[in-house]
Amino acid sequence: MTHILLYIDPGSGSFIFQLLIAGGLAVGFYFKKIRDTLMGWFRSVFSSHSRQD
Amino acid sequence: MQQVHGSFRDPYSGVVIHQNQVFRWMSSAYEPHYRQLMDSGLYDQLVKNNLIVSHQEVDIQLGEWPADFRIILPRQIPFISYPYEWSFAQYREAALVLLQIQQLAMSFGMSLRDASAYNFQFLDGRMVLIDTASFEILPKNQPWVAYGQFCRHFLAPLCLMAGRDIRLGGMMQQYIDGIPLSLAYRLLPLGQKLKPGLLMHLYFHGKSSGKTHANHSSRKPSFSMASFLGLIQSLTGTIRTLKVKKQISTWENYYRSLILSDEYLAGKKEIVAAWIQKIRPAYTWDLGANDGSLSRIAAAYGLTVAFDSDQVAVEWGYENMKNDTISQLLPLRLDLTNPSPGLGWASRERMAWLSRPLPELTLALALIHHLAIGNNVPMTEIARLFGSLSPWLIAEFVPRSDPKVIEMLAFREDIFSSYHPEGFEESFSRYFEILEKKAVAPTQRVLYLMKRK
Repeated sequence: MTHILLYIDPGSGSFIFQLLIAGGLAVGFYFKKIRDTLMGWFRSVFSSHSRQD
Repeated sequence: MQQVHGSFRDPYSGVVIHQNQVFRWMSSAYEPHYRQLMDSGLYDQLVKNNLIVSHQEVDIQLGEWPADFRIILPRQIPFISYPYEWSFAQYREAALVLLQIQQLAMSFGMSLRDASAYNFQFLDGRMVLIDTASFEILPKNQPWVAYGQFCRHFLAPLCLMAGRDIRLGGMMQQYIDGIPLSLAYRLLPLGQKLKPGLLMHLYFHGKSSGKTHANHSSRKPSFSMASFLGLIQSLTGTIRTLKVKKQISTWENYYRSLILSDEYLAGKKEIVAAWIQKIRPAYTWDLGANDGSLSRIAAAYGLTVAFDSDQVAVEWGYENMKNDTISQLLPLRLDLTNPSPGLGWASRERMAWLSRPLPELTLALALIHHLAIGNNVPMTEIARLFGSLSPWLIAEFVPRSDPKVIEMLAFREDIFSSYHPEGFEESFSRYFEILEKKAVAPTQRVLYLMKRK
């Protein structure tokens, strides 16, 4: 561990657990990113349509 | 100079009181991290978004503390409160502010190195981070060091309050380093246990924390930025799903049946407002404040802490304060018959209720009958406590003829022979001069304005 400022006990269990779920968390992150991008795109399309109306 | 005992665990930074002001020192080991915080623009961004307490660098000597790098003077927090005194909404707000800070810090190449609920305080109507030295340069490919602490300090109490009972926030008083995850999960009802976020961050995380991992050092950690951001997003989403609306509305119906006449409330407000205008208190405690509707009169003049033993009343108080943006009103849960004690190492890490700054004015409205009759506290003891609190007191005496007192005595023996206006006045006259007294129509309740002798 290279945290020179570590003063709380992070708990080896918490560390290992985060490593175990790392893949799932990354998938979740990218999923949300894609979803937010699509939603943003849809919103901009619909708002420009409504402005034209 | 005096060390603030809540900060002694961190060898790289701490807090001291010098000439009645709170200073933070930082050792040279913290220098690169502080420089990154200030030079990267993160600090400015945090201050701009009202997420952290602002500070200025000062050039003073603090004696024996290893302040060999920097001393800062943060904006002073007028009243220190603790998680076991917060409403659910306050607590949830602190959790979301912490996660927002962590996400912002990561975009500046930094991370929080702890996630203690005690690092958050109430300032100008919102929860802010007060530990400027909580940041470190983001370690590469490593999991979040503060993940376990975040779950114990925030997720566990919040999900218990939302999922089981809103009063369970008080468990933080028992567990100073946060509620054990396995215990929190065991106490949750089945419906809550199956929520994906709680299943992951409480159950599986708790299971993993309970095991010994002797070989973990041989494993090369690899935790990508996407995983880290995914973790913060997942925690944010889980906290956002926690709500207490249903519990609040159940209690709301009960409270509505207790509300006294509008005429009485209006009369009381008028008298109290006129007296407060005379005193113009910079700092007030309202004891037994209920939802803080009278505390807000004092809040127009300065910080007013509205204490009530009922968690639901505190929830209302905070909600009203937020809706009406009364930034000087702080509703907190406190049982006067069993107030927050000194906690932690040597009982000094977290201050007892009466070890915190005492007010200029105390309000005790429709409270004394609850202490005297509801809790058997002798009038002389009640007067002694109030005599030690503040130079000014506005108190209400509810006579025996009042329907509430009749109700309280209906099924118990009347052992309160000294509970009458003369007994009240005699007890309080030992400590106070009674300046004014006024009956509140249409009841026989009496308000007193008193000044300490």
